[in-house]
Amino acid sequence: MDKLLRNKKALAVFMLPAFILFTLVLFIPIVQSVYYSFCDYKGFTAPVFIGIDNYKALLSDKTFGIALKNSIFFLIFSCVSQLIVGLFFAALLTNIKVGRNAFKNIIYLPCVLSSAALGLMWMFIFSPKLGINQLLEKWGVEEPPLWLMDTKGHIILPMWIIAFVALWQYVGQSMMLYMAQISGISKSLMEASYIDGCTKAKTFRYITLPLIKPMIATAMSLNAIGSLKFFDLIYNMTKGGPNHSTEVLATHLYEQGFKYFKYGYASAIGVVLLVLCLIVTLFINKVVKTEQYEM
Amino acid sequence: MSTKSLVAELTPASKNKKKITPIQVLIYVFLILISITYIFPLLWVFNVSFKTNKEIFTAPFALPKDVTFDNYSFAWTAGRLGVATLNSFIVCVAALVLSMIIGSMAAFGIARMRWKGAKLAMTYFLTGMMIPVHCVLIPLFTRFANLNLSNTLTGIILPYLTFSLPITIFIMTGFFKGLPNELIECACMEGANIFQIFFKICLPLGRTGLFVTGLMTFIGNWNELLVAMVFISDESKKTLPVALSKFVGPHATNYSQMFAAIVIAIIPTIVVYCAFSNKIVDGLTAGAVKG
Repeated sequence: MDKLLRNKKALAVFMLPAFILFTLVLFIPIVQSVYYSFCDYKGFTAPVFIGIDNYKALLSDKTFGIALKNSIFFLIFSCVSQLIVGLFFAALLTNIKVGRNAFKNIIYLPCVLSSAALGLMWMFIFSPKLGINQLLEKWGVEEPPLWLMDTKGHIILPMWIIAFVALWQYVGQSMMLYMAQISGISKSLMEASYIDGCTKAKTFRYITLPLIKPMIATAMSLNAIGSLKFFDLIYNMTKGGPNHSTEVLATHLYEQGFKYFKYGYASAIGVVLLVLCLIVTLFINKVVKTEQYEM
Repeated sequence: MSTKSLVAELTPASKNKKKITPIQVLIYVFLILISITYIFPLLWVFNVSFKTNKEIFTAPFALPKDVTFDNYSFAWTAGRLGVATLNSFIVCVAALVLSMIIGSMAAFGIARMRWKGAKLAMTYFLTGMMIPVHCVLIPLFTRFANLNLSNTLTGIILPYLTFSLPITIFIMTGFFKGLPNELIECACMEGANIFQIFFKICLPLGRTGLFVTGLMTFIGNWNELLVAMVFISDESKKTLPVALSKFVGPHATNYSQMFAAIVIAIIPTIVVYCAFSNKIVDGLTAGAVKG
């Protein structure tokens, strides 16, 4: 049997297809992308090495500044809000018996739907003349908010709306992960804490929370990467507008790369995105220390 | 719950059996409110999709006066959603089948074969989970243009397939590691070769895992917008999410048709979800719990 499982030829047959695909479609392009980011490369001409000029240009690019700010806002907002709301929903749902599955399935439902489609729906609801504002007008509100067209403030209203829509759509995923972890905690631990006189809140704080910490790290890194990759909702809700104020890294990359065909420049944005993803994942896994307890 | 047991629950006699505390009532009220925010927008989209464009501007929240199916027929034919649905289906099924075969083969190699690089190979595939697809778009785009793959369905199947591999390999490795050793030993004694062990024994036993990962990747690819938008500009090759954005014009948008298109785009996933919601949950947690 050992001979069978050490068979190099068979191993190659098993591993090579995945390995070749992965290398050709993922890793070589990544390396190429990093190289392009140091090149002057505009669509139809061959890439010419120009050093860090693209990155210098990024620093003076106003839209890139906005995109970076929005992406980081989005990252922090989704990590924090998904943690709090997801944990809250999970705690509520594990405390009820009747209808738990129904509520769980309803809250998770938008996660499987197309963000492109839902983005169009929210675009309508929050557009300045339609949707909610038609209702507000009927109720006699004099100056209804402009929603997705508003540009006042440091973090503008459209970004908040998009962030909340994203929370609405994806909180089910965090909730589901936390629920799975909470239901894995043995009942006797909970009972022991009740016997020792803990309230429900205290049990949650001192028993549940420490035990689901590993899952917090996992769910948070999933959220973080997801929020940095975020494209569909924003593209269909605002297309980065009004006046580039809701641009994020992904939409800026798309616009620079595939509207203006500045491949080199867009690659530099891609590299920034990649580095952010790696840093954030490492950071979360360092900060949320995963102590392993017996469950 | 039958009416009889419901009555029994509500009568005071059963009160000492189970008390409903005010907090529980509060939780239920809150959850019902939350559920409304989830269900209502979707029902509303469904509702508006039967209205005429004029009605949307005058009374968007009322029920439609005369139900019209014109929006659907327009979106399906003139809006080319029919073609787009077919394209989406082809792309997703191809990516799904290929990623299942290739992914589970690699997973078997990692989980069961005896070689030194297994851990390293796993790490190699798992880093794929952290890499956003945006970073590889430009090199892939130029490469595919040279290979005449841009504007073909193959051109998006390849990235979809590749980006589905990490999760497939991850979940299936867990599955194959869980199979008892005796099983493989036994097959060995009977004279099975390694491919028979994989295709005839391990793969059939891992079908729950396959099903779950299949669902996850199918839904993910079905909803994917960016790659499809970049690689496909030909109208007849567009997938559903891309075809949707065509309904929003820069100057005039026909909202009623847009809503019909939204319904067409989300109905398949809703159906799949209703049928397999528990499996999807399994897949999600299996993918997240690091082994």
